[in-house]
Amino acid sequence: MSKIKGAVVVDVNRCKGCNLCVVACPTQTLALTTNEVNHKGYAYSYMAQPDACIGCSSCAIVCPDGCISVYKTPRPAARPAAAACDAPVAQHEPEKVPSVPADAEEGEVLLMKGNEAIAHAAIRCGCDGYFGYPITPQSEVLETLSELKPWETTGMVVLQAESEVASINMLYGGGGTGKRVMTSSSSVGIALMQEGISYMAGAEVPGVIVNVQRGGPGLGTIQPSQSDYNQATRGGGNGDYNLIVLAPNSVQEMADFVDLAFTLAFKYRNPTLILSDGVIGQMMEKVVLPPYKPRRTEEEIAAECPWAANGHGLEKRGVNVITSLELQSVEMEKRNLHLQAKYKEIAENEVRYETTDCEDADYLIVAFGSAARISQKAMSVARQQGLKVGLFRPITLWPFPTKEIHAMAAGKKGVLAVEINAGQMVFDVRAAVAGQAPVAHFGRLGGIVPSPDEIVEALISSFCH
Amino acid sequence: MSEVKNTLDGKAETAAETIVCPENLVYAKPKLMNDQAMHYCPGCSHGVVHKLIAEVIEEMGMTNRTIGISPVGCAVFAYRYLDIDWQEAAHGRAPALASACKRLWPDRLVFTYQGDGDAACIGTAETIHALNRGENITIIFVNNAIYGMTGGQMAPTTLLGMKTATCPEGRRADIHGFPLKLTEMAALLEGTAYVTRQSVHSVAAIRKAKKAIRHAFENSMQGKGSNLVEIVSTCSSGWKLSPEKANKWMEEHMFEYYHVGDLKDTTAHLHD
Repeated sequence: MSKIKGAVVVDVNRCKGCNLCVVACPTQTLALTTNEVNHKGYAYSYMAQPDACIGCSSCAIVCPDGCISVYKTPRPAARPAAAACDAPVAQHEPEKVPSVPADAEEGEVLLMKGNEAIAHAAIRCGCDGYFGYPITPQSEVLETLSELKPWETTGMVVLQAESEVASINMLYGGGGTGKRVMTSSSSVGIALMQEGISYMAGAEVPGVIVNVQRGGPGLGTIQPSQSDYNQATRGGGNGDYNLIVLAPNSVQEMADFVDLAFTLAFKYRNPTLILSDGVIGQMMEKVVLPPYKPRRTEEEIAAECPWAANGHGLEKRGVNVITSLELQSVEMEKRNLHLQAKYKEIAENEVRYETTDCEDADYLIVAFGSAARISQKAMSVARQQGLKVGLFRPITLWPFPTKEIHAMAAGKKGVLAVEINAGQMVFDVRAAVAGQAPVAHFGRLGGIVPSPDEIVEALISSFCH
Repeated sequence: MSEVKNTLDGKAETAAETIVCPENLVYAKPKLMNDQAMHYCPGCSHGVVHKLIAEVIEEMGMTNRTIGISPVGCAVFAYRYLDIDWQEAAHGRAPALASACKRLWPDRLVFTYQGDGDAACIGTAETIHALNRGENITIIFVNNAIYGMTGGQMAPTTLLGMKTATCPEGRRADIHGFPLKLTEMAALLEGTAYVTRQSVHSVAAIRKAKKAIRHAFENSMQGKGSNLVEIVSTCSSGWKLSPEKANKWMEEHMFEYYHVGDLKDTTAHLHD
């Protein structure tokens, strides 16, 4: 047998001169340079005693930077290649072909809570996963999904997380792979989620978040509220970002907005928030569930989300990384400007609102969600009393219908923002009206829902002296 | 690969030339680890662990079916060095991302790469609960007993008596509490299939660590439950020691508290 001889090749400019290879070498072949440095200024490893090398690879194995290649002669007999991975185990994929959940006939009118409608709609609009944590008044979402067991029909994953922090980060992880994922919570839990929401916005990860609001601050109350308006429409977490915010005012809209929220989230690669409240979440109302839409296949996901980190087609497209991090300020500014340009595009294209009897009105009520429902009644009470009142209901709270309210406010005698909070949206309304008419706010706090009569009284006391 | 050089004098170079040819190659950096220079300090254990993960993924043939989750900490940029798909998680939340990824993509290899501050402090809840649910993922937990990225502050795993920027006179149990044994905690959880503590300070240790990572990854692909591979590591900069001395210090002090070896293996009979 001929004498084993080895040699190493050091990628000099990758070497950081840590000396670990020198220590690991059993034959004292290697040393660090004493008079020369590499491009980075490090002394680097080299074969000081090349004849001593036995090609054992110790140096290369311990090298933290992968700088060393090892050659050996005679080359040892090739070892059999390690077996590739065993067949994977599917956990959540349904055994049978995905089927329509047997919850309702097409177009059938059902009676259910808003929270239940959200759950049914998620399954029907091809949602891939739901991650949530129980909190009143929205626990029926997770309960309904657990009862419907969509993992047996459509293959949708349902997971009760250990916290809202975990839920939102599951949403981040799932959304980052291009899946349609959703979470829901109520105010206190949404506050906990802000870290993850900001990451999703920064990394442009789509996902749907439902906030069935309760009163705050702090633990507050389990009764309904709209006091998360500012948090929802101003981003909520750190950094300059916006969520697309949809405000349903009925159980039907709870059902309809899930698919809309997913569509917008994926169209713009941005998290979308459904800002509901305890009234809409808890009340029972008739609803027609949206038609069934199958979950997308892997190929469909790859086509819709070429940016997604799921491994699909990596050899052709290169590596996909989902991250919000960028240490170079110039690059980070570019990233921010890209986001701002996207928000501008959303603001131009996605404003949604509804008007009722606004044209002939002397007074305008601006209200969203459950406050808009009560205001609808207030409007008819006022009209019976001879006050011509119209209702403007923003459906997207961000982007806010600023231009539309501005146009509508011209010539009015007063604009009343009705909210179940201490006055949050009123600032946006005031900015939209821009001095064309007096603007006032009316709201109740602590989980109290205002009555139609209270709203009419507030309108009269604000504008009719 | 940038400019290569074998030796400083031409004579030796000639001697080596006959050996240095493709058919004699016995070891090289895994292809999955790209040529981008890593930002880690000289001698940092992270590089070795990155290499092992790259080798295992390559050998398993899972390059285009792997999702890695990088942490906040020194390894935040892990995604720059291994050519697989990555997601960069919020501090401590990697196991939550991984749970969702694996459940939504059961045929993917999903792992997190986390430090001690990430996995054993700010993300303890996410770590414990993902492991306890038996998520079919692997958590690679690099424990160097210090916050390296922020400049050497006390970590949950800092040893008693060990000096850091926020315990300059040494960690004291009465003030700072005790170093957390996350891996021992994980071994108690029903959801874990394989819990092990390894190190990468020597050739033998590195070989064992690689086997452990491969075993963990295979378990996760076979649906056996969750896997935790702790790598007791050094932080030359944070410890203010040379890489060589840091390895010695680790052997003398860290191993005494963090015993190296398998803590739990529910599949032991399958791979003797």
